[in-house]
Amino acid sequence: MKNRVQSSRLSKPWGFFILSSCVRQVICGIVAWWVIFPCGFPGVMVLAFDGEMMKRRQQGILTGMPFMANVAPRTFVDDLGRKLYLANPPTRIVSLAPSVTEILFAIGLNEEIVGVTEFCDFPPEALAKPKVGYATPNLETILGLQPQLVLAPRSFLRADLITKLEQLKIPIFILEAHTVEDILAHIQLLGRMVGHSEEANAQAALMRKQLASLSSRLVDLPRPTLLYILNSSPLITVGPGSFIHRLIELAGGRNAAEHAVAPYPRLTMEEVLRQNPDILLFPVGRQEGISQVEQDSWKRWTTLAAVQHGKLVQVDSDLLNRPGPRILEGLKHLVKILHPEVSQDNLPN
Amino acid sequence: MAKVPPLTISPSTTGSTEWVHSPPTMPMPVPSLPTLTIRRWCVWVGISIMLAVAALWACLGFGTESIAVSRIWSILLGALMGREPVTIGMDPASVILLQVRLPRLILAFFVGGSLAMVGVALQALLRNPLADPFIIGISSGAALGAAIAILFGVGISVWSVSALPVCAFAGALLSLLIMYRISSAGTGFSIYTLLLAGVVLNAIFSAFIMFLTSVADPNRAFGMYAWLMGSLTGPDFHTLGVLALYLGVGLIVLGTQAQSLNLLTLGEETARSLGVEVERVKQLVFVASALLTGAVVSFSGIIGFVGLIVPHAVRLVLCADHRLLLPVAGFVGGIFLMLADTVARTVLSPAEFPVGVVTALVGGPVFLFLLMNRNMRVGMR
Repeated sequence: MKNRVQSSRLSKPWGFFILSSCVRQVICGIVAWWVIFPCGFPGVMVLAFDGEMMKRRQQGILTGMPFMANVAPRTFVDDLGRKLYLANPPTRIVSLAPSVTEILFAIGLNEEIVGVTEFCDFPPEALAKPKVGYATPNLETILGLQPQLVLAPRSFLRADLITKLEQLKIPIFILEAHTVEDILAHIQLLGRMVGHSEEANAQAALMRKQLASLSSRLVDLPRPTLLYILNSSPLITVGPGSFIHRLIELAGGRNAAEHAVAPYPRLTMEEVLRQNPDILLFPVGRQEGISQVEQDSWKRWTTLAAVQHGKLVQVDSDLLNRPGPRILEGLKHLVKILHPEVSQDNLPN
Repeated sequence: MAKVPPLTISPSTTGSTEWVHSPPTMPMPVPSLPTLTIRRWCVWVGISIMLAVAALWACLGFGTESIAVSRIWSILLGALMGREPVTIGMDPASVILLQVRLPRLILAFFVGGSLAMVGVALQALLRNPLADPFIIGISSGAALGAAIAILFGVGISVWSVSALPVCAFAGALLSLLIMYRISSAGTGFSIYTLLLAGVVLNAIFSAFIMFLTSVADPNRAFGMYAWLMGSLTGPDFHTLGVLALYLGVGLIVLGTQAQSLNLLTLGEETARSLGVEVERVKQLVFVASALLTGAVVSFSGIIGFVGLIVPHAVRLVLCADHRLLLPVAGFVGGIFLMLADTVARTVLSPAEFPVGVVTALVGGPVFLFLLMNRNMRVGMR
């Protein structure tokens, strides 16, 4: 009896609470949907899809006027869809990626580059430039260099650095290459930015010609399977969605991890045995080779075609990892490894 | 004192131990444990062996490449009959089964079993249900030792034995020595000091590892990150033999201390008054734990929570007598990690993800549950 009294007394406030919270949720939901959907959706889309989707966006909603980039010749749009207006070619540039440094040197800049990362080692002139760090660049050093333009990659970059530099009125421009075509576009874009359009266009045209003649040679050739070994234990390789996967396909090969879901998957050894790669490719630094322990650990898989034919090959990782002007050199290396029958003197220089 | 825990495994041991005849006169709240007979011990260990074999059999059937059950039988029987080991001409199915899946599952069994047994020993020693080699900082110490070995290339083998487990053991032992010094500096060797010291040590060692990865060559640091996340790769049988050697030594030491661990769960003072050389037992168990953890971490990176949930699960089903708990927890830990690894390598097939993800996803909530039910004590339920 006592219980029933208590519960009946409580039932009304509880019911009211539940009802009111339901109503509140519905209202909040409707409001949130109508507010968030139109405002947040383009941003979410840009975050969710990179590549093609982002390209379309940079001319669209986020950049304001769709034809802005064509109207103002000194306005540039970066790979995050951010718009940047430069009245004059910048004379003090900081590069936050080795690939960007290589592009800048390749289009004839030297004096204008005032800061590079600690991994910028090509061309040799880059070694003499002041260093600003890499994944977490030193903000004070960057400020001390008084740059008129900071060029940065999207990967490895901390989001708060962009905000901070924008707050300090230092223009920062993001470059992210997904394909070889993107690299060519970047070269031409940077050429226009710094006023070296002729060199940049010449460079891009040369690369485009080499690329075309290279791919025309590979059309009818068989596609050997290649396993790109980023790390042996545990085995980490490149999958669809990574830059190197595209390079392998471009060079007339088939990636052993083409069925993986992630761009840099851990691959099971079973899958490797099943795909039976013809070539094991080890990206290494310039001086070092494949360590003996690593070679032995692979040579025990005697059923692999690559092991039977002794095709444990190394490649200079900088040539393939850096989306810069030397990418064609890396591509030629890949072609030489995948198709030795396409002899070296036939390759365009 | 009828309530002294019945510790008889055979009639011969009852007569020989003196303290059974001179128990303390003070009445104590001693939990009543069911008597452990040889028959009971054999039954449970037999059951766990059978379960382990069944789990091994089940896990062998899963993988990227699907192999028919009859095929697995014929391959395994062929290997057992001592036919020629894998040669170039052999078919890929048997290579996958015998050289990839089987060694990997055995490694998972060894790793899981060792972690669970270290968990049992540490929980008894610290009388803390939340103790685990991962939590009190031994794993981090071992990982630091192994990370130094990897980064500076000490991984080269000496007398065909890899230096990696030795470095990891040194790291684990170092962390234990520091902890021992810290906690014996105050009044005695308090349990809570030890746990707290473990947590802080964990933070310090993690900071060292982060420092090493941040200054290292990115290519190497990348590999180390992947290894730290806990990975089981297909080792060759030579490596498994080396691991078994390390584990065997540690297991023998732990096994001989099972009886003392039983008494330690009653409290240090009680155990001391019952004739246990508490400090000696502690040192022995710590060194054995460091050895086991060091060997395991050097082969598979940091895999957390196995040493936490498995002992509790076994304790819920069985009694808390460590002579039975240790071996059964070892088997169940091995089974658990074999299953977890099978999940990790098949869900995203052909890619895989670190096995530590699975164990943490299962073990983390259990840890939180135990934290909320603080009344749970080792040895009484």
